Amino acid sequence: MTPPPSAKARKRIALVIGSGSVKCAAAIGIQSVLKREGFELDMVVGCSAGAIYAAVMAAGHDAALAAEMTKRLWTKEVANRRNTRALLQTVAPRWLRFDKATFGLRDDRVILQRLKSVFGDMRIEDLPTPLHIAATDLANGEQVVLSSGPVVDAVRASIALPFAFSPWRIGDKLLIDGFLSDPMPIGVAIRQGANVIVAAGFESPYQSSIHSAGRFAFQLSAIMSNNLFKSNYAFHSLAHHSEIIPIIPRFEERVRLFDTDKIPYIIEAGERAAEEQLPYLRALMQQSEEPAEHA
Amino acid sequence: MQIDITPGDVTVAAISGSVDSLTAEQLMQALGKAVSDNQVRLVADFSEVVYTSSAGLRALLATLKDARRQGGDFRLAGVQPAVLRVLELSGFTSILKLYGDVGSAVASFDAELQ
Repeated sequence: MTPPPSAKARKRIALVIGSGSVKCAAAIGIQSVLKREGFELDMVVGCSAGAIYAAVMAAGHDAALAAEMTKRLWTKEVANRRNTRALLQTVAPRWLRFDKATFGLRDDRVILQRLKSVFGDMRIEDLPTPLHIAATDLANGEQVVLSSGPVVDAVRASIALPFAFSPWRIGDKLLIDGFLSDPMPIGVAIRQGANVIVAAGFESPYQSSIHSAGRFAFQLSAIMSNNLFKSNYAFHSLAHHSEIIPIIPRFEERVRLFDTDKIPYIIEAGERAAEEQLPYLRALMQQSEEPAEHA
Repeated sequence: MQIDITPGDVTVAAISGSVDSLTAEQLMQALGKAVSDNQVRLVADFSEVVYTSSAGLRALLATLKDARRQGGDFRLAGVQPAVLRVLELSGFTSILKLYGDVGSAVASFDAELQ
């Protein structure tokens, strides 16, 4: 059925929040600038740590509360406790019956408990803003988009950082971190019909020195993730019929995995980056959706 | 966005402003016309371009393919950091030749003839 002219004229805005650990807090700054300017989000898409922020925003929490919630949720304690059995399984996989479904070197009980305390029994389909969380199928590497079901399950699946947290089962699939299939899941927003896609993405930092197997693994992961980020971003930029506005905040200070004390600074960086795009975004939203954009 | 085209052995298009969804069509038409006029050795002076988005990238790619299809090339000069970041993230720096200034970009064509 052909949509009415008014529906045709209005551009649908998506905010996509890629992986990037605590840097994803920049999305809070971006969202608050968009909200202040009266740009209503038609959907929020997130993966990995970006899924946490996407879910908090889709739930309708304002910037201050979102910052506070995510600050409580993501601290060093979530990865403090080792999963000794998994550690031993790496050495003696046959003897200890290596199990891919439970393999993660960090105990996930704390993060799970915190996710439950923040999101409770919320379901994605009940949130005020449509939410899509991207994870990855461990069996074949394909992206799996979670657009309904418990928020806790979807976020837990999307943050299943390889080696650190175990995969998460949803239905018949074992899911792992969303960044493994796409570190900035713009394609989800395109598929869901977004016109203007505001994309907050973050490249993985490279190790300043590599003196352990763990750091070596992090470095390899960063190399693969960053190359995937770029190639997918290129593909989506060329494939999308309308506009993708990348918002890549600049951080003068180094931001580490659990630097939650830097969240106010990160949010400010997100605000600044969004402010820079405002004149263009305003002009773009005033322009009706016309065939001329099919560049 | 402003486009000022100077035809020559190597045609130089001085562009200023934003290359985005609002301006990409204008850019494609201007550069497309240059290519169809057989000005296939093209340099875009990007020193005054402050922003490019996905629509801008599509316009650049279309021009690049047009120029190369006809035996020429499309090169960028003086790309500023904010735009360079987008070109790097999108992998465009791996397919486009970039130069510090217009003179170097023009000279790169001449050097290939020698």
